[in-house]
Amino acid sequence: MVVGVACGSDLLIYKNNKPFYKFSVPSLPILALEQDAWQKLSEPDTDSSKIIENLKNTPFGLLSPRSQTLVNLPQEDIKEFIEKYSSIHLTKSSPITCMTSLKRNSEDPLAISCPVLATEQGQVYVLDPQSFTILHEAHISNAKATPSIIRASGILDIEFRIIVACREMFITLLRRGWLEGKIIIQTVLPIVDMILMPGDNFICAATTDKMLHCYTKRGNKLWSVKMNQPITCLCLIPLKHLSIALVAVGMQGGAIHLYHSRHSVDFITAPDTPSAIVFGQLGQEEHVMVIITTSGTMNFKILKRTADFNLNRDNSISPAAQSKPLPLPKRSKLFLEQSMRERQHAVDMHQSFQQDLVRLRLIAARTVVQVNSNQAAAGNEKEQLKLSAQVLGLGPMFTLILTLENMNSDKALIELSAVFHCKPSIYKLSSYISAIPLIPPGLAYKIETKVKECLNSENSTEEGAAISTTQIIRVFIVRLGQVQPVLAATINMPPTDPLAYTV
Amino acid sequence: MGLFQKLAFFLGIRRKEVNVLVIGLNNSGKSTIINHFKDEEEKVAEIVPTVGFNVEKFQNQNLSFTAFDMSGHGRYRDLWEHYYKDCHGIIFVIDSSDRLRLVVVKDELDLLLQHPDICNRKIPILFFGNKMDCKDALSSVKIAAGLGLDKIMDKPWHISASNALTGDGLQEGVEWLTQQIRETIVTRN
Repeated sequence: MVVGVACGSDLLIYKNNKPFYKFSVPSLPILALEQDAWQKLSEPDTDSSKIIENLKNTPFGLLSPRSQTLVNLPQEDIKEFIEKYSSIHLTKSSPITCMTSLKRNSEDPLAISCPVLATEQGQVYVLDPQSFTILHEAHISNAKATPSIIRASGILDIEFRIIVACREMFITLLRRGWLEGKIIIQTVLPIVDMILMPGDNFICAATTDKMLHCYTKRGNKLWSVKMNQPITCLCLIPLKHLSIALVAVGMQGGAIHLYHSRHSVDFITAPDTPSAIVFGQLGQEEHVMVIITTSGTMNFKILKRTADFNLNRDNSISPAAQSKPLPLPKRSKLFLEQSMRERQHAVDMHQSFQQDLVRLRLIAARTVVQVNSNQAAAGNEKEQLKLSAQVLGLGPMFTLILTLENMNSDKALIELSAVFHCKPSIYKLSSYISAIPLIPPGLAYKIETKVKECLNSENSTEEGAAISTTQIIRVFIVRLGQVQPVLAATINMPPTDPLAYTV
Repeated sequence: MGLFQKLAFFLGIRRKEVNVLVIGLNNSGKSTIINHFKDEEEKVAEIVPTVGFNVEKFQNQNLSFTAFDMSGHGRYRDLWEHYYKDCHGIIFVIDSSDRLRLVVVKDELDLLLQHPDICNRKIPILFFGNKMDCKDALSSVKIAAGLGLDKIMDKPWHISASNALTGDGLQEGVEWLTQQIRETIVTRN
């Protein structure tokens, strides 16, 4: 067993707790301009200020760390800095941001595994564990990507998958032989931690919005769970004797929940917010969880041998529900034909449905307009009063029946009266004003008024043209002591059939 | 006790075979302890982790012991409870240098004491605080306190620090166990 420690752009290898080897990530290509600048600076009697000005004009991110320091140095330190470093070979290396290990040629837990490094620039290196040469090199993504979490599964010599979560809120996949990764998952918020589930290679990722998401290996989302507290770390807990893998979710405040798929099966507490959780063998004990908290404490938790996480109980419920078949009707020939038709004429059916829907909406709109313009029943929204009129008779004697309805469910109508308004030369009414008694909620009151049309043989011919506009009776419902009428309506009176009327 | 009875008692013991169960976590030294009690010609030079269990026989004070040397590995601990019923005594071996797993020992001991085949019987339990030669080993008093042995009221128990490699402390413990088993057999008779 060796321990690898990434430090800057170096990987330090310790064997038996003693330094063994140092691997440095290869230098990135240096700008010709920068190379040139340092070449000039190393020569004596050169004007350094002009060269530095030149360096300042190039994009800061493209410069090597040495030049980055130089352009930011105060004037008095520049000379010394140049003297100190100009003779040393200029390199531009990228710091290692995350690393993992990948089994070389066997799944055995004690088999040789290769270190996998990812650098700030988005390069991934797979190293040979014996000679420390680069076995495989790839770029994470064609877009700008800064790896933050890297996980690997599979075997290097056969087939492997390297999953990298980036600070730019996406997860990329690298496979054997690929030189560039493919983005498979994009998240809305930054990724806190990510783990790969063994077996089906599901990806569990925690985001900053307290959510834990699970994706298939192709990047399709399976489920999401919301936690009570922001997630700080994740840890895989493979339990071979129960043949399950749990996910430990460390949260702010010190709670650690254990999830089996999307269900929380247990929880434990740490004295403080956990910053990292590791599960595995420690000495003789197989199932030990080591929790490191943000305040720097280290906690050891040993899994009870008898712990079964109540999984049996859950299992016993679900098969019982599944074994009972759903009461689905048999697939009749009619159903099959219908489904066939649906498959063949999907577009037509959709169009005709849309057409009918539009038609239905048109009819509904028309009806609304009609109801609004209908004079037979007028209403007052505020008072919740409805008035409808009915004219009986053929003339010249008519009976006008007004129905006043109290729409309010809990308030009675009081102090109302109906006032009729008409041209006295045409109509004579039995009463021009009638007081309305109290109308209890939800009930209606009917007012009957006799109308007599004054028909003069001379008048009828003369005013024939004006008949249509004058043959109306206006009704006002007024409240005592209120100037504005509560409700007003116009009743169109039917003309008297001259033939039916004989003097 | 009359002379005749005494004679019968010893004759009875001569024929008596007792079963003891040797349990404890893996790497605590159970097989090494049993190996120490075996005859010189049967001794094994190198002890390997036990798989499942081994049955060993040895004599002590005219009492013939059949020891069920159980494997202490996590996945074999389920086997222990199947032998609780037929045993006359229990030897519980603890690695006194493994401070981390003392909680696991306590857990296993509690499971043992709560088991229906054990909880109502007055079965003697002998604890060996093994590996006492290790420099960070816990004393037997500390182990007894850590495991809460003082709470065991209904069963005779004894703890002795031991070193299974040299044999220190083993004889003392087994003599106590022999005495206890003999007493229980007398009361039963």
